[in-house]
Amino acid sequence: MTDRPLRVLIAKPGLDGHDRGAQIVARALRDAGMEVIYTGIRQTPEMIVTAALQEDVDCIGLSALSGALIEYSGEVIQLLREQGAADVEVVVGGIIAPGDEELLRAAGVAAVFGPGSSMADIVAAVRGGRSGARGTDTVVSERPG
Amino acid sequence: MPPGADPHLTVKASDYSDEQIREIEAAAEAWQQGHAETLADERKDEFTSSSGRTINALYTPADVARLSYLDDLGFPGQPPFTRGESAAGYRGKLWNWEFYAGFGSASDANKRYRYLLEQGGTGGVSIALDLPTQIGLDPDHPLAQLEIGRIGVSISTLQDVLDIFDGIELKKAAKIFTTANCIAPIALAWFYCLAEEKGEDATSFVVTIQNDPLKEYVARGTQFLPVSAAVELACDVIEFVAEKDYPWYPISVSGAHMKQAGGSCAQEVAFTLANALAYIDRLRDRNVAVESFAPKMELHFSTDMDFFEEVAKYRVARRLWSELLKERYGAEGIRPRLHGVASGAPLTAQQPLNNVVRIALEVLAQVFGGVAQTRTACYDEALAIPTEEAVKLSIRTNQIIAHETGIPDTVDPLAGSYYVEATTLAMYEEIRRILEDVDERGGAISAVESGHFSGELADESYRRQTELEEHRRVIVGVNEFVEDEDASINVFRHDPSVAERQLERLAQAKASRDQTAVDTALGNVRTAAEQRRNCVPAVIEAVRAGATTGEIAHAWRGVYGEWRSTLTGVR
Repeated sequence: MTDRPLRVLIAKPGLDGHDRGAQIVARALRDAGMEVIYTGIRQTPEMIVTAALQEDVDCIGLSALSGALIEYSGEVIQLLREQGAADVEVVVGGIIAPGDEELLRAAGVAAVFGPGSSMADIVAAVRGGRSGARGTDTVVSERPG
Repeated sequence: MPPGADPHLTVKASDYSDEQIREIEAAAEAWQQGHAETLADERKDEFTSSSGRTINALYTPADVARLSYLDDLGFPGQPPFTRGESAAGYRGKLWNWEFYAGFGSASDANKRYRYLLEQGGTGGVSIALDLPTQIGLDPDHPLAQLEIGRIGVSISTLQDVLDIFDGIELKKAAKIFTTANCIAPIALAWFYCLAEEKGEDATSFVVTIQNDPLKEYVARGTQFLPVSAAVELACDVIEFVAEKDYPWYPISVSGAHMKQAGGSCAQEVAFTLANALAYIDRLRDRNVAVESFAPKMELHFSTDMDFFEEVAKYRVARRLWSELLKERYGAEGIRPRLHGVASGAPLTAQQPLNNVVRIALEVLAQVFGGVAQTRTACYDEALAIPTEEAVKLSIRTNQIIAHETGIPDTVDPLAGSYYVEATTLAMYEEIRRILEDVDERGGAISAVESGHFSGELADESYRRQTELEEHRRVIVGVNEFVEDEDASINVFRHDPSVAERQLERLAQAKASRDQTAVDTALGNVRTAAEQRRNCVPAVIEAVRAGATTGEIAHAWRGVYGEWRSTLTGVR
């Protein structure tokens, strides 16, 4: 596997238009040396997964403040699996009600960041994903073009 | 005037003589030297305000020597309104406390509004709309599915509006507010038809429609039409209300969301005023007299935790609004109308009860700032939409400040504080500079379209976040004084059956209406858009006929085209 920088897609699923958090995280990841693409607001899970595959990212960061993160991340993860891209890690941030973190993790989300999370922790979690479970040649080659 | 001085600042003699100022400066210098050791031993390397302005150890008359009391501060209720929008301040009438609420179906929302009115909310009915409604999508649109009734109430038809106000007399509610922005003409039609249906006089209550699409593209994100089309629709609403001369506020030009997206107090005021000027310019192009609508324009800001900057902000916003209307349009003596929101943005998910204290301080700052209409956040907002218990505590917070502290008993009590006046002056100058910069960029519409405003906010919010991470700024319970345990408060839970019920209601409404009348009315909405006539009469007709929010918005999309976001690499 090459030493290319980590590629991350920051995405806003659903109709929530508050993207300050998404933009701050995008910048923090960029400043940490990653290549970051931001979808802009109002994306469907299909649009997000299509962009993730086209951009060949290692990680998708989903952000929503309107409370439907569990459903959106579930759909994104499901679509990634269907596309043979289950190795793309999904992390989420936004308004997380107490108890929702467990549900998100159960849906396959690798890391959950509620209000007040630090940029340093988010950067570490995205980096950690690569050196951890995935990032082998085999996994990468499974991805469609 | 010395080179570089602001031409707008009064050149009139200061309230102090040059000699007095020199004397004070010399004494201040001596004081500094006499206490050099103590003054050097400070607990921080530098003291700065939330917007990065250096804060001095002490302020004296020398810091406000440029002020002229009569010209720059004056008296409350008259230009330049620095000291307040009304002469009597809170001695006459306390600020209104309003609670932004709404979730689920119309009947769910109805229950909450009745609760708020019963508990002593004085700000009327403040309607949070769900995202599909705000974006002009009906519950049966594929994009709406997971968002129906989630962060606000879902309104598709006039029947939803009637159900929201079931058992609520409009005259008694007195004030109705909603965050309809890009769908503002539809919301105007709702309340127009609501009064009609209930047989109440439209002048017996006040409707405020946020109707500020420009900031949606910058910070809030419910836009669905191209910028220029959205501005036209916004102006249609203002023009219609001005012509009817209802005591309504057809626009609440909002800085609050730009602030919450990371902007400083100065950016918040400057961008808001710039946006307001853009709407005015457009209406002037239509030959609508500024005097007919400017008094009906509300300015809406958000109060954060930097106490003195917030107080200064409200004072300076009134002054600038008054001055700009006079300078640019010759409209003199127009009384500003400010709306402040004790913001949910500084509230933390960690140790949520701490938010009770934050909210009290925010309310206090906007009361010292002299705001007449306020909205107050609730302590559980960082976790979910507020519970009844949380809302009640926010009502009580306002009541305690109003009735127990004595603070509202004199007008503008912080005036004359050297620090407050120096801060007010510094912000005044900074906002003037930003406004000049926006003018050079071709005005607010260009600054919105080019992404200038959103870029500026992103820079500022990143700077603020970095301060936090480096512990140069403290948020109790977040980056200092952290506890490990989870929040253990009750939070509101979304009822997933709402979506199903709303879909059913919508299907029933569509089945039981006169489809020919709806088609004709929607055709008229399209024609008005094509011919660039004021859309409001056609929208009223459509709402009355039973057309849905989504159908009317769809008619506009067909004529104007649709806004879409784009994929961008982050550089």
